[in-house]
Amino acid sequence: MADRPAAGSQSALRGANRGLILDALKQHGGLTQVELTGATGLSAATVSTIVKELVGAELVEVRSTVRTGRRAQLVTLARRVGLAVGVHIGLRHMRVVLGDVAHDVVAEQLLPLPAQHRVDTTLDRAALLITDLLDRMGASLDEVLGIGVGLPAPVDVATGMVSVKGIMRGWDEVPVAHVLSKRLARPVFVDNDANLGGLAESTLGASRQYQDSIYVRASYGTGAGLVIGGRLHRGFAGTAGEIGHVQVDPSGRICLCGSRGCLDTVVGSQALLEPLRASHGALALRDVIAAANEGDPGCRQVIADAGATIGAVVAGLCVAVNPQCVVVGGELAETGEVLTGPLREAIRRRVLLNQIAPLEVFPAALGERAEVTGALQLVLQSTDLVTRDELEPMTWRGLG
Amino acid sequence: MSPGDGAGRPGRVPLLSMREVSVRFGAVEALVGVDLTVHAHEVVALVGDNGAGKSTLAKVISGVLVPDAGLIEIDGEQVAVGSPSSALEMGVATVFQDLAVCENLDVTANIFLGRELRTGTGMLDEARMEHVTREALQRLRARVPSARTPLNQLSGGQRQAVAIARTLIGEPRIVVLDEPTAALSVVQTAEVLTHIERLRDLGLGVILISHNMNDVRAVSDRIEVLRHGRNNGSFDAATASYEDILAAITGATTAGPRLRSAI
Repeated sequence: MADRPAAGSQSALRGANRGLILDALKQHGGLTQVELTGATGLSAATVSTIVKELVGAELVEVRSTVRTGRRAQLVTLARRVGLAVGVHIGLRHMRVVLGDVAHDVVAEQLLPLPAQHRVDTTLDRAALLITDLLDRMGASLDEVLGIGVGLPAPVDVATGMVSVKGIMRGWDEVPVAHVLSKRLARPVFVDNDANLGGLAESTLGASRQYQDSIYVRASYGTGAGLVIGGRLHRGFAGTAGEIGHVQVDPSGRICLCGSRGCLDTVVGSQALLEPLRASHGALALRDVIAAANEGDPGCRQVIADAGATIGAVVAGLCVAVNPQCVVVGGELAETGEVLTGPLREAIRRRVLLNQIAPLEVFPAALGERAEVTGALQLVLQSTDLVTRDELEPMTWRGLG
Repeated sequence: MSPGDGAGRPGRVPLLSMREVSVRFGAVEALVGVDLTVHAHEVVALVGDNGAGKSTLAKVISGVLVPDAGLIEIDGEQVAVGSPSSALEMGVATVFQDLAVCENLDVTANIFLGRELRTGTGMLDEARMEHVTREALQRLRARVPSARTPLNQLSGGQRQAVAIARTLIGEPRIVVLDEPTAALSVVQTAEVLTHIERLRDLGLGVILISHNMNDVRAVSDRIEVLRHGRNNGSFDAATASYEDILAAITGATTAGPRLRSAI
């Protein structure tokens, strides 16, 4: 920060304008120079000068395109080597991002999904979203190294199938990786979403300086991603870290998985909404999170209790794994300390606190993008071997 | 307004309440004793077959049609919605299926079409209109590159976003969207659906008319089925199954005695 130019100086202005243009490109995927002047409010001459500079710095690329019958210059963020696609299919939303090998997200789209969405419709929409987003970037499927997909259920990574029946109705019969790779003719890698969150946070996020960490995803359901010795631990059939199915109430309700009183039957979205129905009416999970952030006591109570319950289960996991830190992500984590406070408290109360390094509990650094970032990471890790030689120098150039 | 301020909270007055609304065109019974309630912060979907009365009901809400019978209450007070402009004044804004945008005008001009802002000297206040346009697009988090782009350069999804943003100018409390995702690509559909979620987050009541059960179930809180101009079931979108809703649309199941007595 010391060598930052003085505010109001010529170079500070130019830096700010550069930022404006890069932000606009990130938001829209690709824009013509004319559209860039509109999007940023800068003059055509300034846009032209800065785009030239950015092309020189290899941050953006320019190619010819046609807009409303006229030739135009399409400006996009530069993609180093190739693109990776990250898809996170949640219970109520799907997020698709395009990223380059430097893990920069260059295009993104969110799609709300219905409850109990169907596997055929959702995979069809995922495929169409991917091709639409590539179109918007002016890119083609050939540039895609691979597609990473995160699902809110345990996944057998070898086959790309949900490995436990009943958790996602209709999905456990379908080889997701095969269906998408056949459709798009690119390699597809499928994993559990909490695992992907753990992968992302441990390589690029909050736990990147630690060898052993646990990522807790508190969302419509709960899951965890275990990173042990710097590597993701999935277990034999991909069910490691499925804390949503640890029993917390022996006399509780029957879970989708078939056993009784699982964590998800106590802190899953339905269980969180029900006690609020009498006092608050019919809410969606998003409403509860927003209301908790605005200080609504009832909603804060529900989320704080969930934090304590999740914490007690994670404590058990911590005793087994002895991680250096626990990272908390997922939609519920958007309430910050409302969830994380009681969760941390419950863990600290139950875990053997060693005197070498006390267990840290903190929020995910990548927020709502943790899972898709992990999906990008999974693609890049899985295709590393093929392209390592060409990749490495390019990546260094990108960083330098 | 905090979430939970409406959406069925016990004791809350609904934003819009329609009771026993009927519309006839000669021998055609377009609507027969239809009830509809919309709360703040709630997305209510109207679904049904072609000719079930969805668009007729939308036209009644937006003041285009005056019902032959029935009661309309806004904020618990009985009102007479005689024209689209009186509906607007009461806080009901509508985006019709054809969007009614002008291809040759830019985004700002479209948003202020017919209600342009003027300066003290009577000149068009372009700067202020452009500013308000940018704000409306931002509230919606819409991806429209510029407030000065002509509409014919925008995609279907972006045009839909402009049409929705236009409704926000009059600070409405209820937005009616008639088939907003028809004929859109998946990316554009995704954008429109996130805009609908955004309207809900802003605390508005949204009435969504659509054929696409996937889109409807993705964003609505409650699904109201119309069949032959009559109510034929009300479903909680988070728990109702696709099959139950389809059964109500096709008439395999009927709700209440009213439908049966009419046949």
